[in-house]
Amino acid sequence: MKGAGIDSSHARITADRVGKWFGEVIAVNNCTLSVGTGVVGLLGANGAGKSTLFKMLAGLIEPSHGTVRVFDRRLRQDVGWYRRVGFCPESDALPDWMTGREFLALMLRLMGFEKAEINRRVGYWLERFELEDAANRRLGGYSKGMRQKIKLAQAMAHDPDVIFLDEPLNGMDPVSRKQSIDLVRELGQQGRTVLVSSHILPEVESMTSEIILMDRGRVLAEGAVAEIRDKIPEHPTTVALVSAAPRALAGFLIGREHVVGVQVDQENRVVVSTDHAVAFYRALPGWLLGNGLVVDEIVTLDDSLEAVFQYLTER
Amino acid sequence: MKAATNPASPPDIDVRPQGSFAAAGWLAWFSLREMARRRRLVSLSLISLLPVLMVGAIRIWFPQAGITAQMQLAALAHDIFMPFLIPVVALFVGVPAIGEMIDDGTIVFTWTRPVRRRAIYLGRLLAAQTVSTLVLSGSLALCFAVMVTEGPQVITWDFLKLYLQTFVIIAMGVFTYASLFAAMGTFFRKPVLPAILFAFGWENLVSNIPARVQELSLRFHLQNLITKPEAAPQDLPGLLGALLTTAFHREPVPKVQSVLVLAAVMLLTTVLGIWLFRQKEIAK
Repeated sequence: MKGAGIDSSHARITADRVGKWFGEVIAVNNCTLSVGTGVVGLLGANGAGKSTLFKMLAGLIEPSHGTVRVFDRRLRQDVGWYRRVGFCPESDALPDWMTGREFLALMLRLMGFEKAEINRRVGYWLERFELEDAANRRLGGYSKGMRQKIKLAQAMAHDPDVIFLDEPLNGMDPVSRKQSIDLVRELGQQGRTVLVSSHILPEVESMTSEIILMDRGRVLAEGAVAEIRDKIPEHPTTVALVSAAPRALAGFLIGREHVVGVQVDQENRVVVSTDHAVAFYRALPGWLLGNGLVVDEIVTLDDSLEAVFQYLTER
Repeated sequence: MKAATNPASPPDIDVRPQGSFAAAGWLAWFSLREMARRRRLVSLSLISLLPVLMVGAIRIWFPQAGITAQMQLAALAHDIFMPFLIPVVALFVGVPAIGEMIDDGTIVFTWTRPVRRRAIYLGRLLAAQTVSTLVLSGSLALCFAVMVTEGPQVITWDFLKLYLQTFVIIAMGVFTYASLFAAMGTFFRKPVLPAILFAFGWENLVSNIPARVQELSLRFHLQNLITKPEAAPQDLPGLLGALLTTAFHREPVPKVQSVLVLAAVMLLTTVLGIWLFRQKEIAK
């Protein structure tokens, strides 16, 4: 299922049969993927290999085999390309003796900005993350959420085209979480590439529908959630149709193309199992109109990211 | 998060790495401030008071023993600074200079900047060397202050020349040891033990073996650079007498040779350290 849904011809990030061993432990195993513009969620349980893959993509560690490229460059060799890359690590480590303002200023200084531009950008990002009041406080005194925000700010302050965010919402309060999710979506809409790793499905779901799903060091699937869902034949998508005449509707749907099961549940809804949800949704209006049937409501029961994740990881 | 105007991205982004000198300079400045705040620096500064205490003891208890300021300075440099203080300070500042950033994970932020790895390494190393030199300079300055309390006759041209010479040699020793220890800190996962074994095992052993074997220690070359004072009085008591009478039992080599050896070690360990750093994996 690799490569599904993501336009690899415009890929900014690519990994080709990449693997990483730590001693006898295989952290990432033979992963191939390509990421274009927009927000893409890198999803997997703890220990799935997300952070290791992230570190290889960001040039922090060298793959044991295979190649990783960003803008078709190997960042570990072409360090100048870090001007176009932002990285927010999962680790909570920060230079605690520095103030938030100093930290951002140093990060921008090392990006090559001049003093006036540094001041402008530091001011902007401190304001954007509502850290102005804490700007002159040492990072060691920041709360977990504030530390997360300053890490995000340093990853974004130089306007990178590719941004790696490793578990970016850890420790944030609900309001900051919502604001950060909005910011990530905004960056994706601006045409940047944002690769976000998380093990919390609703978080990823709220940022994007494009995912890369990892389990035990392997990429299980890559693409839009709905498309991935359609490619899990063992678990047909289940759709509930609310109608005034459920039995007539159920009788009509039996045997139709892409319909693999029909039943009427206790709430009198027609529950349809389909092996190709996209085609089913496309055909349904025509069937209804042509046969005088009326459906008041359509509810997809199991095409959520959680369901997809569960089905793929239990394989 | 408030709405704010995002500064426009520059249309053509230069993807060349930052200039190494500028980047190393900025990193050295910030690293210097970081290292100066470390608690271990207080302990090292206290240990560095040892020569000051010795000079003070001579001033108080042996004012008429005929030990000139030059003799005191040369003996302190030879027997306290070179075999003990320089390695200790360089070890505890140099070993963590690079390794600690990798261990605690803060290296990630500099690693993901368009800065050449050598600039990161050199910035950190330069900061470590400067901090170590400042600690020992403070000690040397205090020694000077105590010595001149004897009277203005102490401040002779010869004394000032020896003082400056001692300062330069100590700085050279610190820079060399710190380069070596920084490379060890980059290479070893737990570098303190190997560094201690080198500083107080290898250096002690080799520098006391007669003939040319002693040239394999850094300490030998540092001690070789110190100008010998006039002969020490023979009737001095205890430790002080022992220090002054055994201090200069070395087979000398040309001073240029020692300077070249120290410079070569500094250069080679720095190049090695940069190479090791480039191969590092930032797994935290």
